[in-house]
Amino acid sequence: MKRLNRRAAAAVGSAVMLVLVLAVYIGGAMIPDAALQADFSRRGLAPSAAHLFGTDFLGRDMFARTVKGLSLSLAVGAAASGMSAVIALVIGVAAAMGRNAVDHAANWFVDLFMSVPHTVLIILISIALARGAAGMMVGVALTHWTGLARVIRGEVLQIRAQQYITASRGFGKGPLWIARRHILPHVAPQFLIGLVLLFPHAIMHESGLTFLGFGLPPEQPAIGIILSESMKYISSGMVWLAVFPGLSLAALVLLIDRLGNTARRLFEPREAQL
Amino acid sequence: MRKILFFALAAVLAASLLVGCAPEGAPDSAQDGAADRAFDSAPGGTPAVTAKEEVVIGFPGIPASFDPLVTSGHGSYVPLLYSTLVALDADVNVVPDLAESYAISEDARTYTFAIRQDAKFSDGEAVKASDVVFSYRTIMDSATEIDLSAVESVTETGNVVEIRLKHPQSTFILAVAGIGIVPERLYGEGFGLAPVGSGPFKLVQYDVDQQMILEANEHYYNEAPRIRRAVFINMSSEDQQLIAAKSGQVDITLTSAPIAAANTVDGYNLLVEKTVDNMGIVMPVIPAGGGTSSLGNPMGNDVTCDIAIRKAIAYAIDRQQLCDEALNGYGTPAYSENDGMPWWNPESVIETDVDYAARLLEESGWLDADGDGIREKGGLKASMPVYYFAGDSARQAVAMSAANQVREKIGVELIVEGTGENDIMALMVAQPIILAWGSANPLTSYRLYHSSSIGKDDWYDPESFGSPTVDGYLDAALNARSLEEAIPQWQKAQWDGTTGTSMRGECPYIFLVNKDHLYFRRNGLNTGRQMIHAHGASWTLVANLKEWYWES
Amino acid sequence: MALANLKSVAIYILRGLTLLLAVSLLSFVLASVSPISPETRYRLSHPGVSDENVEKMREYWGLDEPPAARYLGWLGGILRGEWGTSTSYRQPVLDVIGVRFKASLALMMAAWVLSGVFGFSAGCFMAVFRDRWPDRIVRRVCLFMCSIPTFWIGLVFLAVFAAALGWFPFGLAAPPGVPPEAVTLGQRIHHLILPALTLSFLSFANLALHTREKLADVYAGDYVLFARARGEGEVRILFRHGIRNAMIPAVVMQFGAFAELFGGSVFAETIFSYPGLGAAAAAAGTGASDIPLFLGIVMFSSCFVFIGNLTANILTQAIDPRTREGAAA
Repeated sequence: MKRLNRRAAAAVGSAVMLVLVLAVYIGGAMIPDAALQADFSRRGLAPSAAHLFGTDFLGRDMFARTVKGLSLSLAVGAAASGMSAVIALVIGVAAAMGRNAVDHAANWFVDLFMSVPHTVLIILISIALARGAAGMMVGVALTHWTGLARVIRGEVLQIRAQQYITASRGFGKGPLWIARRHILPHVAPQFLIGLVLLFPHAIMHESGLTFLGFGLPPEQPAIGIILSESMKYISSGMVWLAVFPGLSLAALVLLIDRLGNTARRLFEPREAQL
Repeated sequence: MRKILFFALAAVLAASLLVGCAPEGAPDSAQDGAADRAFDSAPGGTPAVTAKEEVVIGFPGIPASFDPLVTSGHGSYVPLLYSTLVALDADVNVVPDLAESYAISEDARTYTFAIRQDAKFSDGEAVKASDVVFSYRTIMDSATEIDLSAVESVTETGNVVEIRLKHPQSTFILAVAGIGIVPERLYGEGFGLAPVGSGPFKLVQYDVDQQMILEANEHYYNEAPRIRRAVFINMSSEDQQLIAAKSGQVDITLTSAPIAAANTVDGYNLLVEKTVDNMGIVMPVIPAGGGTSSLGNPMGNDVTCDIAIRKAIAYAIDRQQLCDEALNGYGTPAYSENDGMPWWNPESVIETDVDYAARLLEESGWLDADGDGIREKGGLKASMPVYYFAGDSARQAVAMSAANQVREKIGVELIVEGTGENDIMALMVAQPIILAWGSANPLTSYRLYHSSSIGKDDWYDPESFGSPTVDGYLDAALNARSLEEAIPQWQKAQWDGTTGTSMRGECPYIFLVNKDHLYFRRNGLNTGRQMIHAHGASWTLVANLKEWYWES
Repeated sequence: MALANLKSVAIYILRGLTLLLAVSLLSFVLASVSPISPETRYRLSHPGVSDENVEKMREYWGLDEPPAARYLGWLGGILRGEWGTSTSYRQPVLDVIGVRFKASLALMMAAWVLSGVFGFSAGCFMAVFRDRWPDRIVRRVCLFMCSIPTFWIGLVFLAVFAAALGWFPFGLAAPPGVPPEAVTLGQRIHHLILPALTLSFLSFANLALHTREKLADVYAGDYVLFARARGEGEVRILFRHGIRNAMIPAVVMQFGAFAELFGGSVFAETIFSYPGLGAAAAAAGTGASDIPLFLGIVMFSSCFVFIGNLTANILTQAIDPRTREGAAA
C-alpha cells in the first residue's frame, strides 16, 4: 500500500516537474522580441516589481532574457542529448548484439571519447565547425553518449540471456530482427530515462561553453552569454545580473535531473528504496 | 559528540593536506597573505603610500614577445623599450629620436638618417648604424606584420643610414617611427623574451600573461624618466580593473564607460582622454552578386548599395545622443576615420538632418506603403543586420542606440547582431558591420578606400568601395614628397567639393562616435600630455610613460 | 601484484597508446577541417599585411603540402618533443605548456585533495546519519551542488569573497609586482583558495553522494549487522568497516575524474585569470585560434587523463583481481 502511494506521488511529482519544464520552454519561446530590446531610459535598474530580475547595461529586462535563455538552453539541450542518446543506443546495442570484435571496438570507441577532457574536445569540435550553435551541439552530443552506451549495453546483455531470445534465435531469426522485436522495446525506458538524465549535463556544458565564447552566438540571450556579460558588473554592485540567471539555470538543471531520477524509480521499483 | 569531534578532525586533516600540497619553492615561513598590497589599504580608506618613482598599471594584454622586428607600431611596447629613428610628439609631429636629423631626396625615394653617436643600449654598448641596417633588413627578409615592402635597399655609410624606396611613399616616415632598433650582436632565438633596446626603459621582469616590470634605462640618451619603475599587471576584465582600483592595488587602470558612470573610487580621479578611436558602420556599396572575395565569399548587399539608404542613415543619426546613451557621455561625434588628425578634412562634418534623410529615401523610392514602420522599395525591405564583435559591449551599445534612432526617425531597420571573429570574414563583405579605426597614419585611409584593395579579405576592405577620383587623390597623397605635401590630397579624398569618401560624399562608412579612453588614475599621478589616442586604450596611454611623474 | 595483473596493466597501457594515437589523428583532422584557414587567421590577426608576407607564411607553415604529410610531420614532431610554435606566444608549444601546467597542477591538486577529503567526509557523515534529517539536508545540498555550473559558482565566489568581502585576491597566482622568487607560500595559497574551491565544487558533491551509496551498501551487509549486535557504535562501525571499504572506490573515482578536473580548470582559471593551462586552452581556442598550442593541449591533457585512468585501473587491479576488462557491464 505504501509502495503504491509512493509510486503515485512520484508520478504526480514527475508530471508537475514536466509541466514546469514545458512552461519555461513555451514561456521563453513566446516572449516577444520587443521585451529583449535595448531601452536606454532604464539602464542598470535593480530588481523591482516591473523588472523582476532588474535590467542590464542596455536597459534590457533580465527576467525576459533569463526565461528566453533557459528556453534556448532547453532547445539546444534537447537536440544535443537527443543526438547523444541515439549514438549511445546504436553503439550500446551493437556492442551487446555484435560479435566480440564489435564489442571490443565499441568499448575502445567509448574510451576514445573519454580520454580527452570534454571541455577541451568540445572546444576543438566547435573550432572545426566554425563555432556557433551547431558546433556546440555536435560537440556536446559527441562527448556525452559514453555513459548511456554502457548502460544500454549492459541492459541488452541481460535481455539477450533471457530464454525467449534464445528461442527466437532457435527459430532462425537474425540479430537485427531480434533487436527490433525484443531488445528495443525493452531498452526503451532505459533509453528515455538516460536521455532525460543527459539533459542537465548537456545544458551545463552548453552554458559553460557559451560563457567561454564557443557556443551560442552572442545576440542570443543564452544564459552563458548573459553571465559572461554580467561578469563585468559584479564589483559595480550589479550582482543581480549574475545571481538570478545563474540560480534559474541551476534550478532548471536540478528540476530535470530530479525528473529523470523520479522517472527511473517509477520504472525500476527496486531502486525506490534508495 | 564523538561524531562532531570526528568531523572536526577530518577538517583539520584536509586543511593540512592542502598546505602540504601547495606549490614548492617558497620559503615556508609563517608569512601570511597580508603582504598582498590589496589588504594593506582598507577599502575606502586612504590609499597606501606609493613610492614616488614607481607606478603600477592595470594593463590588458601583456605581450607574449618583445621582439620589435615582429610587432611594430605606436600601439605597442616599441616606444618604451626601443628607440626609433624618428618619433611622434604629442601633436603628431615627426621629431628626431635615434636619428639626429633626416633628409628626403628630390625624387622622394631616398631617406637618409644621421644616427646620433651617444646612444647606448641598456647593456651599455653603443648603438651603431649597422644595428639600424640589421633591424630593417631582418624585417624585410622575414614574414611579419611589419610591412616594408616599399623598401628597396638599406645601407650604411659611417653613421648615416640610407633607405631607398621602390616608389615614393609619403607615409613612410610614419612607418619608420614605429620600428624599434635591436642590437645585431644579441638578436636571435629568445631575444623576444630577453629584449635589449635603447629606449627609455628596460624589461627587468616578465611573467607570461601575468605581469611585466620595466625600469628606467640608465643609459638612455634623452632626459631620464622620472618614473624609475613601472609594474604592468595583466588585467583584462573590466571588473578586475575596477576591483584593483577600489582596493588600491594599481595607480592607474583602464575602465569602461558604464563602469566609470556607475562608480567613483576614493583617492582616484577619472582620466578622460579624447581619441580618434572611432566606431562606424561600414556598408557594402555594391549590390549582391558583385563577385567574390579572395577567399570566395560573395560580396555585396542590395539594400546598402543604395547611396540614399547609407546617406539617410548617416544624416538621421544624432551622434551626441549616441554618446550620451551608449557611452554614458564619454565620447564625441565622429565624422571620419581620422577626426582631428593633421590630414583630416573638417568639411567631413555633417549636421543631423532628419528631414533631408527622409527626403533622400523618398526620392529614391523607399516608402512605407504597408504601414509597418519600415520602408520598402520594390519588395525590398529597408532592413539589414549590423554586426558587432561579441563581447564588445561599447560597440553593442552604440549599434543598438543607432538602431533605435534610425527605426524611429526614418523607418529603416538595423538588426543588431553579435558575431565572432571566425564568421566575420564571410559576413562583412556582404553585410553592415561596426568596425573601429583611428591611427596616427593616413595610410589607413588609403587602405580603406583605394580600389586596388577590393576583394582582399582583411579588415580594410569589406565595403568594396572604389572610385577613380578618390583613387587619384589617394595615389597623389601617397606619392607626395612628404607628409605635409600629402595633406591636401588626403583631405580631397575625403571631400573635394563634389565627391569623396566622407558621409557628405559616397558614404561607404557611417561614422558614429569617437570613444573616449577612460582610466581610474590615483590622485597625484601626472600622465603628461598625451598624443590624441589612436585605436586601443592601453598602449596609447603608456606611450609617453617617460613623461609621467608624481606630483608632490 | 600477481603476474596476471601485470599483464593486464601492460595491455591497458598498450590500449592507451592506441587511444592517444587516435586522439592525435582525431584532433588533427578536426583542426584541419576548420573552415577558417590559417591564412585567414593570419590576415585577421595582422591587418594590412602584404600579400607577399602572406605567401611567405604559407610556405613557412607548409600549407601547400598534402594533409597526410602534414599530419605525419606533426606527429613525428610530437614524438620527438617538437610540438611546434604557438602563434600567440611565439614560443615552443611545449615550453608554454610546461610553464602553464606547473601553475595548473598546483590548482588541480589542491582542488583534488579538497574535494577528496571533504567529499569523502561528507559522504561518511551522510551514511552515519542515513535517512535522518542531517543526511537529508546534506544530500539535498549535494544534489543542488551537482546542478551548479562551475563557471557560475566561480563568479559567485568572486563577487562575494573577492569583491564584496575582500578576503581573497581577485585573481592571478601571486600578488602583482612581486618577482616569482619572492612570492611566499602563504601568498600562493591565498591566491589558490578561491579557484581551488570553485574547481572542487562539483567533484565534491559527486564524491560525497558516491561514498554515501557505497557506505549504505556496507551498512546493509551482514557483518555490520553482527557488529551492531555486538553493540558497536555507529562511529566505530564506520571506522572499522565503512571507511576501509569505501575509501578505495573513492580514491579510484578521484583518479578517474582527471578529465573533469582538467575540464573544470578551463573555467576556474578563466574566471580567476589564473595563469594555468586551462585558461591557455580557452584563450588558444578563441580569437584567431592558436591551433598549434591547442593541439598540444589536447595531446597533453589526454596524457594527463590517461595517467589518472591508469592509476585508477592499477588500484582496482590491486584490490580486486576478479576485475578484468570486459567482465563488468
